[in-house]
Amino acid sequence: MNDSLKSVQRSVGAIVLTCLACSLASAETSTPQIVKSANAFLSTLDQKQRSSVMFAFDDEAQRARWSNLPTTIVKRAGLSMGELNDTQRAAAMSLVSALLSHRGFEKVQQIMDGDQMLKTNEKNSRMFGKDLFYVSILGTPSEKDPWMIQFGGHHLALNITVAGERGILTPSLTGAQPALYTMNGKTIRPLGEENDKAFALLNALDENQRKQAILNYRVADLVLGPGQDGKTIQPEGLKASAMNPRQRDMLLDLISEWSGIVHESAASARMAEIKAGIDDTWFAWSGSTTVTPGRNGTAYYRIQGPKLVIEYAPQPLGGDPSMHIHTIYRDPTNDYGRKVAAK
Amino acid sequence: MRAALPVTAAAILVMGMPVNAHRLDEYLQATTISLEKDRVKGQIRLTPGVAVLPGILVGMDENVDSVFSAAEQRAYAEKVLGDLALAIDGNPLRPRLVSVKFPRIEDMREGLGEIQIEIQAEVPRNGTHRRLTFENHHQSQIAAYLVNCLVPSDPDLRIVSQYRNYPQSFYQVDYEQTGVGSGSPLVTGAGASALLAAATLLLLARFAFSARQRAAT
Repeated sequence: MNDSLKSVQRSVGAIVLTCLACSLASAETSTPQIVKSANAFLSTLDQKQRSSVMFAFDDEAQRARWSNLPTTIVKRAGLSMGELNDTQRAAAMSLVSALLSHRGFEKVQQIMDGDQMLKTNEKNSRMFGKDLFYVSILGTPSEKDPWMIQFGGHHLALNITVAGERGILTPSLTGAQPALYTMNGKTIRPLGEENDKAFALLNALDENQRKQAILNYRVADLVLGPGQDGKTIQPEGLKASAMNPRQRDMLLDLISEWSGIVHESAASARMAEIKAGIDDTWFAWSGSTTVTPGRNGTAYYRIQGPKLVIEYAPQPLGGDPSMHIHTIYRDPTNDYGRKVAAK
Repeated sequence: MRAALPVTAAAILVMGMPVNAHRLDEYLQATTISLEKDRVKGQIRLTPGVAVLPGILVGMDENVDSVFSAAEQRAYAEKVLGDLALAIDGNPLRPRLVSVKFPRIEDMREGLGEIQIEIQAEVPRNGTHRRLTFENHHQSQIAAYLVNCLVPSDPDLRIVSQYRNYPQSFYQVDYEQTGVGSGSPLVTGAGASALLAAATLLLLARFAFSARQRAAT
């Protein structure tokens, strides 16, 4: 079979998958439930709290008010969990839960639990802890018109635009410090799959593919982290069109660690979009190619496609970089849902 | 609603825990390059780690008043500029400072505070196959360099390849451009001179021919 025929088959396949995912998304839409949860949360607030948590949908300053850093260093706006009573806090977390998949919500909780540990172990430091995670709503919760929810704090920034049946999670940041801990007798790695699946993919590449994927230079931090909206850098590494079907599936499975944070119907639509551009998606790696089983590694990697940027960057901030991870997830064509909001 | 995971602080055991939330012993210097047909722009973001800040501050806050005056900001940006080297097709370019923005010194002491410097250099349009090189040697002993090129917004420009050394203090990008002079001998350098000379000769010949015709009548 020649290359052009294969290419046509892949394109047709991508279109079919996109249509299938769209129909699934509309069949399983979560938007009414999300709107209901948002209104339930707002109804628990007094007037002053409501004015603190609500922003205009097009408030560019608030959209960009997120960071990997603690909220005592980079100030957030909205309402912090520490400002809410138990009922309000439960309603806020119920809203976050309605927006996310089961694994996405679990990941968020593990990131927050990790930050609570930093507080406990740093003599009750005022820089860390679950009370310092903020929620804000941009626009008015609606099943039809676009609006947005932000939830985040240290090592977490979820920017979720709800536009009809769509749920757009970009740009979002996840991080972990510590990247490995034990809670209630259970070992927790909030970003463990992001590490393990990446190493599995790297190890599935042949020698020639690894030569292309592994960059010959050090990458010390995220390139397109907070404050770098609207930029698209020249992609590098190994193109997925040079991967075999199994390797491409592994790459998609790795990507799903970010695209699957949002609720299932939105994640399906997003994954169909990513699959449609998979041949033009690049995988680049910098740093050590070995890892201790059960721990995160110290290597940086980037996945970049027509509608996708993912970076995973261990942080050499004076400690063990494998215990302190930052990641970023973007869609350069649709960050903050600009594309769907403009329609 | 899915139930929140139970958290029992007493049961929490942390295995090894660095607690620095900010950069410590490195000086992060992230450069983003944008290519245009007749110019190249650079945005440099500099974030000193808290452990190396005292040494860096000596060159920034020269009068030690804990405030970065406009003159001090510009002087430091010029120092950074002096540690950069930019060249096109092997010919050095002379980047100029476009803007400089400093954070508060208090923020820098927290390991935050990003210095933002914008530079720009004019690029002669000659040629379709181009090579831009960028070098950064600012505070090389403590630097963590990043350098990347944005995908050109001009569809006439296409990046062909990139190369960096391990610390990213040296960066090279090869790119192609269309819609400008092709760089053929007819329009550049000695070729342009030859074209001009030929045109002059043709003009002189035409004058001579006209003069002979007038004399004949």
